[in-house]
Parts: sequence; C-alpha cells; structure tokens
Amino acid sequence: MYPEEQQLERAVILLNGRLLGIVLGFLFGASLFLATNFLVLKGGPHVGAHLGLLGQFFPGYRVSFWGSIVGFFYLFVVGLIIGVVLGAVYNKIARA
Amino acid sequence: MRPVSEIKLASTNDSVQHLQDMDESRVLLRAFAPLHSVALGLAGAVVASGLLAVVTTVLLLRGSDEAITAGSLLGQFLWGYSVSVRGIFIGLIWGLVVGFVMGYGFALLRNAAVWLWLTLIRSRAEMDQYSDFLDHL
Repeated sequence: MYPEEQQLERAVILLNGRLLGIVLGFLFGASLFLATNFLVLKGGPHVGAHLGLLGQFFPGYRVSFWGSIVGFFYLFVVGLIIGVVLGAVYNKIARA
Repeated sequence: MRPVSEIKLASTNDSVQHLQDMDESRVLLRAFAPLHSVALGLAGAVVASGLLAVVTTVLLLRGSDEAITAGSLLGQFLWGYSVSVRGIFIGLIWGLVVGFVMGYGFALLRNAAVWLWLTLIRSRAEMDQYSDFLDHL
C-alpha cells in the first residue's frame, strides 16, 4: 500500500462549525419560511393550528407572512447554534 | 484516526515535483477523508439532548395549557416523555439515543457513499487504462 493510501485510511475530516451553522441555519429557516407560507396560501378555517404551537418557543411567531419572516430568523439562530456546537464537539472528539 | 489538518506530510528537499505530489495528496485527503462516525454520533447526542432539555425547561417555566399541549405532542414519539421535571431527564436520555443514532447513521451513510463513489472512479480509471490492452499484444 502506498503512503498516500495509508494516510487516506487513517485520516478523518474535520468540520467547519461556523460554516455548518450557517448552512443549517439557512436550511432550518427556509424550511419554516416555506412551510408557513404554504399553509398561509393554502388557507382554511384553522390555518396552521399545529405549526402555530412553535409560537410557544419563539415569541412573535405566527402562521402568517410576517410570522414566516420572524420564524426564519429564529430558526436561523437555532441552526447556527446547533451547527457551531455540533462542529465543536465533533472536532474535539475527532482530534482526540 | 488522525484529522486531515494534523497530518504532517513528510517533505523532502529533492524535487519540486515531489512537493507537488504531496500537495495533491493533501487535497485528495481533504476531499475523500471519512467522517468520524462515533464523534458525529456523540456530537449529535450532545446537541439533541441539550435541545430537548432546553425545550422542556422552557415549556415548564411557561406552564400554560397551550405550552403543555405543545410539549406533550413530543410524548407521541418519545415514550415516557412529558412536560415535567422527570420529563427533562427522560428527554435527555431520548436526545442522547436519537442524536447518536442520527449522527452515527449520517456519518455511516456519507462514508459509504464516498467509498462507492471512489470505487466507481477507480474502476472506471482502470478500465480506461486497460481498454487498449489487447492492441499492445
């Protein structure tokens, strides 16, 4: 086996926590933004009865267009924190 | 296992070509190195359990009927979970299990996909290399 192949077998990749956080933040935020607006456009007697429960965790969030923007920012922050923590813990264990 | 960034590639003073080869191998390592499955599993476990504990605590502190209803919906998926002090600890355990399985599973799938991709690339390259083998006989 060549030295490069040996290195490839032993190496593990490290995560960029900040980048992962931004990606997860956009993913989570965009998901809620789209889901909220989908329900708003769909309409009906009880618009987003279940999704509206997120307002318990995120003050100001409602199933409305304005709520979808507020929700985007909330979930962006949540995704960012998750990504940063995930990256930090992963890198710490992978380096050990 | 060692992280890619910490791999010290032995450098020689012999030739520039050798150093270029080293750079290429470093790039290859960055591109194809696997994720550490256990590390990602543990990171997922830490994040998921922390998230569940925070969510339960927030719901407990709010204490309204709507908050309890929102939290109790999680009990439909996580057996034994409820919006209570006991629920915080049960949520922690569920978070550890679910987070680890998701993180470990993701790393496993990602590594398998990269391995399959590499095998495909290698077999195609070998086929290209030997495609005109009979012409040289």
